[in-house]
Amino acid sequence: MAPLPHPGGRVRASVTLIAAVAALSLAASACGIGGGGDEAGEQDAGPITIGASLPLTGEFSQPGQAAKEGYEVWQEMVNAEGGLLGRQVELIIKDDASNQNTIVADYNALISQDNVDLLLGTFSSLLNLPASAVAERNQMLYVEPAGGSPEMFNRGFEYLFFTQQAPVDRQGQVFAEWLISLPEDQRPKTAAYPTLDDPFAIPTSEGIEEILVDAGIETVYRETYAIDTKNFDTIVNRLKAEQPDLVVNGAIFEDGIGLIRAMRKAGFAPGWLYQSTAPSLGDQYAEGIGPENTEGVMFAISHAPEAETPGNEEFVAKYDEMLGGLPPEDAADAFASGQVLQAAVEGVGSIEDQAALADWLRENEVETILGPLSWDETGATEGDFLVGQWQDGQVEYVLPEEAATTDHIVMGWKPGDAN
Amino acid sequence: MEQLVQNLLLGLLLGGVYALVASGLTLIFGVMRVINIAHGAFLILAGFVSYTAWTWLGIDPLLGILLTTPLIFAFGWLVYRLVVAPIRTAPMASTVLLTFGLALVLEAVMGFVWGNNSTSIRPSYVDESFTIGELFLPKSQVYGGLLAIVVLGGLYVLLTRTWIGRAIRAAASNPTGAELVGIRISAVAALVFAIGIATAGAGGAIAAVLYPFVPGSHYLWIARVLAIVVLGGMGSMGGAVLGAVMFGVAETMTSAYVSPAWATAVPYAIMFAVLLARPQGLLGSRLREDVVAT
Repeated sequence: MAPLPHPGGRVRASVTLIAAVAALSLAASACGIGGGGDEAGEQDAGPITIGASLPLTGEFSQPGQAAKEGYEVWQEMVNAEGGLLGRQVELIIKDDASNQNTIVADYNALISQDNVDLLLGTFSSLLNLPASAVAERNQMLYVEPAGGSPEMFNRGFEYLFFTQQAPVDRQGQVFAEWLISLPEDQRPKTAAYPTLDDPFAIPTSEGIEEILVDAGIETVYRETYAIDTKNFDTIVNRLKAEQPDLVVNGAIFEDGIGLIRAMRKAGFAPGWLYQSTAPSLGDQYAEGIGPENTEGVMFAISHAPEAETPGNEEFVAKYDEMLGGLPPEDAADAFASGQVLQAAVEGVGSIEDQAALADWLRENEVETILGPLSWDETGATEGDFLVGQWQDGQVEYVLPEEAATTDHIVMGWKPGDAN
Repeated sequence: MEQLVQNLLLGLLLGGVYALVASGLTLIFGVMRVINIAHGAFLILAGFVSYTAWTWLGIDPLLGILLTTPLIFAFGWLVYRLVVAPIRTAPMASTVLLTFGLALVLEAVMGFVWGNNSTSIRPSYVDESFTIGELFLPKSQVYGGLLAIVVLGGLYVLLTRTWIGRAIRAAASNPTGAELVGIRISAVAALVFAIGIATAGAGGAIAAVLYPFVPGSHYLWIARVLAIVVLGGMGSMGGAVLGAVMFGVAETMTSAYVSPAWATAVPYAIMFAVLLARPQGLLGSRLREDVVAT
């Protein structure tokens, strides 16, 4: 411990003491001392506590806030039906401020200080990468609503389960395969791939590029930009010079808005525009780029409010009751994570053994509002995403045909007064 | 060649906005020796005030500078009196910590009032550009750049042609001497802090039209603006403008001719290189204590 204070050294001693305590608590949390996993079942009488840290502020606050809503709607619905294993569910949600360091501290604190019984994941691959490592080290089940980057699944983790239909490198597969199925004269000949330097955005656009290149669509531009890029004018200036028929933008949100605004200012409109994530954020997207510029933008999406999947109607109604309006995709993804966690707990009938919960998920298919989900050994899912398109200021689901809300597809991007 | 001119113009326009924001930070440092880490947060605050004036009252965000800047000036003065004044003469580390705390508080308050969702201001001209032959100049950037020049010009006149400006410069170059000739340093400091914040406010109103923002966007701004001020020379107004323009041009040129992935990193590399040759920055002056320190 800290040395005893000597005359005149009281302040220094106090500082040493504080530093020592801080260092010890940091070390304890870093090592996961007192991990909640083993103690999970000891407080049977009280509620089951479920911890998560979400990017409620910072660059990823858009999906983070939506995910919080999804978790809260799930909690409300589970508790209304009598809870989990007869116990009420209590969520402990922290804010990681979109920061990779904070999220590690948050999940360590959830496990070792809050002693949560179960965990739920966070948003974006960037944050799920370190957060899932904390869960794995503490041998706790980690069900994540986002984080579909291939990097997530090549680490040999046993407690990680992704709850969207497919990892991100296959997110644009349905769109790309549809595009190359078009008659020769309608198909783009050249494509550009400006992409955010992010473990989610890069594989998304690479997955599409791979299919398009195989089909003979030439890549005329591929560049990544840093997350703190505000100014997209020069990127668009290059795009304008290359004049690609298709732009595939691996985006999260603000960068996607920034790129389109720069395109409009430069008077450049490619024939086709595909973006990841940003267009799925509804009104926020339309406000950001202007509703008149949304027409024809295509994107992959995991959830449709109109889908006839089990429990979806109830979820959409409950969301509207609690928060008003239609649920954004990220809220639905978070809700689905809750459903998967619930299925595992109810399937095993206990929360004592986290390994048993993981084993149960590997062996079973779970019905969610996103459709049935099942997992391979790595925790990755094996389904197909929906393809959405903005039409008349609304999001329509255009592919695959069996899940489509319309049989009309706008052939290309038709922004406001573009030439 | 055309591409080069186009990219250069885009870089200069970007640098103009950077210059406006950096001028306030360097002014505050020059007079008060306070590194205002909350500068970016005041900028974002002005963005939200502009957004509210635009959505509620239909006031154009750039014209609205006439409304937002005095408001932010008054807020800056109040913050100085309540928070900064008590530690004005404390060691620099204390003021850095205090203003960092202030930035966090402002971020939380903005999140509470306006929410943490991305906010965009889209006046009618936001997607439009002036075209000269094949070149395009985005209207919002041109208006923003011109406004930045007007505000910076006004600041220059204030500092060089008015009694208040002379008092500010006197307080910056020799606080003890200034007090001896009857200048109240505490009053000058309050005024300088408020003016510095007001320039961040004007910059914020312009930036809000150019880029979407969230309360947490202030980190990106303070990182960039601090680097600009250090590059130009801490406390040097001319240095801040020069540093800002260099930063803006370096960012766009790197994006165009190297890779967008390096666009935000290369300006910092240039800053390191400049500091190796001139530790006091481009136009900064070497102080007696700097010499002693080396």
